[in-house]
Amino acid sequence: MTAGSIDAGLSGRDPHTPESTLDRPRDYLHAQSTLRSWFLTTDHKRIAILYLTSITLFFIIGAVAAGVVRLALVVPNGAILNNDNYNKAFTLHGVVMVWFFLIPSIPATFGNFLIPLMIGAKDLAFPKLNLTSWYIFMAGALFTMISVVLGGIDTGWTFYAPLSTAFSNTWVLPALIGVTIVGFSSILTGLNFVVTIHTMRAPGMTWFRLPIFVWTHYATSLIFLLATPVITVALILLVAERAFHVGVFDPAYGGDPVLFQHLFWFYSHPAVYIMVLPGMGVISEIVPAFAQKKLFGYKFVAYAAIGLASVTFFVWGHHMFVNGQSDLASLVFSGLSFAVAVPSAVKVYNWTATIHKGSLRLDTPMLYAMGYIGLFVLGGLTGLFLATLAINQHIHATYFVVAHFHYIMVGGTVLAFLGGLHFWWPKFTGRMYNESWGRVSALLIFIGFNVTFFPQFILGYLGMPRRYATYPAEFQLLNVLSSAGATILAAGYIFPMLYLVYSIWWGRRAPGNPWQAKGLEWETTSPPPTLNFITPPKVPNQPYDYPIKVTETGGTPA
Amino acid sequence: MNSRGAAHHDGAKVGIELAHHFETVEQQRYAATLGIWAWLLTELLLFAALFLTALILRVTHPEAVKLATGHLKFWIGAVNTVVLICSSLTMSAAIEFSRMGWQRAMVRAMLATAGLGTLFLLLKGYEYYADYEEHMMPFLSRRPYELHESPASRLFVNLYYVATSLHALHLFTGIGLLLGMTWMAAKAGFLARHQNWIEVYGLYWHFIDLVWILAFPILYVVNRGA
Amino acid sequence: MRSPLTRLSPGDRALVRRRLRTPFLTFLALLALLAVNVTLGASLPFAHVWIVELAVVGLMVAIILLVSMEVRKEPPLIRLFSGLGFFWVCILFGMTLTDFLAR
Repeated sequence: MTAGSIDAGLSGRDPHTPESTLDRPRDYLHAQSTLRSWFLTTDHKRIAILYLTSITLFFIIGAVAAGVVRLALVVPNGAILNNDNYNKAFTLHGVVMVWFFLIPSIPATFGNFLIPLMIGAKDLAFPKLNLTSWYIFMAGALFTMISVVLGGIDTGWTFYAPLSTAFSNTWVLPALIGVTIVGFSSILTGLNFVVTIHTMRAPGMTWFRLPIFVWTHYATSLIFLLATPVITVALILLVAERAFHVGVFDPAYGGDPVLFQHLFWFYSHPAVYIMVLPGMGVISEIVPAFAQKKLFGYKFVAYAAIGLASVTFFVWGHHMFVNGQSDLASLVFSGLSFAVAVPSAVKVYNWTATIHKGSLRLDTPMLYAMGYIGLFVLGGLTGLFLATLAINQHIHATYFVVAHFHYIMVGGTVLAFLGGLHFWWPKFTGRMYNESWGRVSALLIFIGFNVTFFPQFILGYLGMPRRYATYPAEFQLLNVLSSAGATILAAGYIFPMLYLVYSIWWGRRAPGNPWQAKGLEWETTSPPPTLNFITPPKVPNQPYDYPIKVTETGGTPA
Repeated sequence: MNSRGAAHHDGAKVGIELAHHFETVEQQRYAATLGIWAWLLTELLLFAALFLTALILRVTHPEAVKLATGHLKFWIGAVNTVVLICSSLTMSAAIEFSRMGWQRAMVRAMLATAGLGTLFLLLKGYEYYADYEEHMMPFLSRRPYELHESPASRLFVNLYYVATSLHALHLFTGIGLLLGMTWMAAKAGFLARHQNWIEVYGLYWHFIDLVWILAFPILYVVNRGA
Repeated sequence: MRSPLTRLSPGDRALVRRRLRTPFLTFLALLALLAVNVTLGASLPFAHVWIVELAVVGLMVAIILLVSMEVRKEPPLIRLFSGLGFFWVCILFGMTLTDFLAR
């Protein structure tokens, strides 16, 4: 690769010259150009792009709904949105963001694109199944959108019975069916990843030579396989309950809504790690690349991924401390929840130790990664507050919880998503984005995020409950601050969409390895050819074998 | 036993056609086997959630569950279990024949398997009909419910319908897939290209059988009482 | 394609017998265990008979997994996957019961 020299030699963008593609190897984007070649593709890279486009669409829908919610909360008396419309707005935000953005976000896009590249395979093990899972995803997501078009739903993303089964007068059924369908898409993606990682690794790619990104996606895929079917049943029972009054969750017949919550959180707590683990994988790739230093404690980080994916199945009851589950269950779930902090902390310490004495380049992906680490620490530590039984009684279902999980989901996953998007954008598209614009966007999002969500910790601690359209007037200042932050955050989201799309046509051509990063995906061209590698890769080295002696320029010796 | 169709010494060539993205046939075969096991992992948790619900109903309403179980068609369930165990035998036979390259015998064993699966569904349908006649369909809001004096019994009876219909859906899909595959497998050269499809499918079929082996006692047997 | 009417040669018959021995024995074992369970379920000989019934079911499941689904012949990874699900079922049941059995 002549990546380094190109990167160093060029300044400013080169003029757009379509002819120059002729002497490059046929890349996956230009191999075929019909619509059919996109919608019937079995190339994991193209399917990743299909996912990227569709989840971006859902992100926009979810973000607009969030904007509406924050707008409504500028005034304390519900003058902008009445109760019903407010409920529908936050439900739309939650349903779309959780089910159609966060859960598929990193695995279905980056995972799809990068896992075969990182392990040196030509494709995932089951390419047709991969395409099928995109169609299932779109079918389920659009099915859910039917309920939005018809008038919306007001149950919150959690669909708790008996609100969703007996009391809600909104379009709950299409949403439930749609989310059930989307679950199968997750399962099939997870299945594909598990099998691919086990069976398709290039010669020499042993388990402890896998990038952490692959490890975290392996752990995520196991959660997909083991947890998703349980919520499928929970949702099927909800559908049956709402349509046929089955009664299993209905206290009127002796059923128990708490049972729904058990089944729901058996999936939905591990789903937090479906959303977080892939992000951790992204950060574990970005940090060594921009510190030009071997990832500290590689094996610990790898084991921590598997540890998180396992421990997460033992803690779901901490969502249910005040709903009448037994004291014994609350005690056990509370105690085990603290165990989650251990593998999480292992990861954070290892990232910071990697940064320590590295030769840092604060380019856009690294800025996102550092933002991630800070916000994840805050989100994680406030999780310990919530895991504590006594404190939980006080802050349960308040804005403290809202702030906590947004620090994890947005501060964590979305920042990792955007960081990864900038990191691998040259690989996806073959183009470089404007670096200074990238840095501005990272900064905007970090500031906007904190202004939006930090006040919500205070609001929650002071006792403002979540999911209400109105609130006491003394909370208005902090709410206005939070809404103001949301506008900065919105600008931070819109900006990358503009300059990234701009770069597809007018960006400077990307070299194979613009960041001098390690990993098989950087050893092929940008964008890669259809079967990923021109010569089949072999893996003689440990992962992240960045030079131990760091030079002044941070460059890697040949 | 369906080995009558097999003749001597002219077994078809058995093997797998290498797909473009795999390096070796062994890798491809291993991926397919691991893939189906990963899918079965998911299926197990799917039914486990329903069985857990049954267990919780028994813990919270033991008398009502006992009452409801007494009205389930124990003997039809038992006969259906026999039918599925027979179908597992024919499926195993189909796999063995596919390995031997005895294509005709394999196709017949597969048809027998599909036939036994259909018999299961027919018996299940008759069972539902009998339940309907006995007013044991509490989810039908317009129809009186036999055990109306025990509201909690509704829960177990309704769960029985959810669980058995989900299993029946798996069986129905399975029969459809099996017939489609049998159609392909009857063509010349199938075993030389896709022998492992039979093995992979066989795992799925055995697993549906396994789920019923669990569902029959959980729904019909363990909650019986005087 | 061979004719269905062709008689099997003695060699083929021996081959079929050898290859189908295990499936057939499995079949018999499963039927016998089912008979035990049906008898217990129909006659209810003693209280808590469900413990015996569940043990019998466990045996049937083990036979299907190990013999019919040939887990015993598979490499360690497949064996792990065939058992992993049951471990997760235990988590699901165990943790949920900490609530329902302690209320």
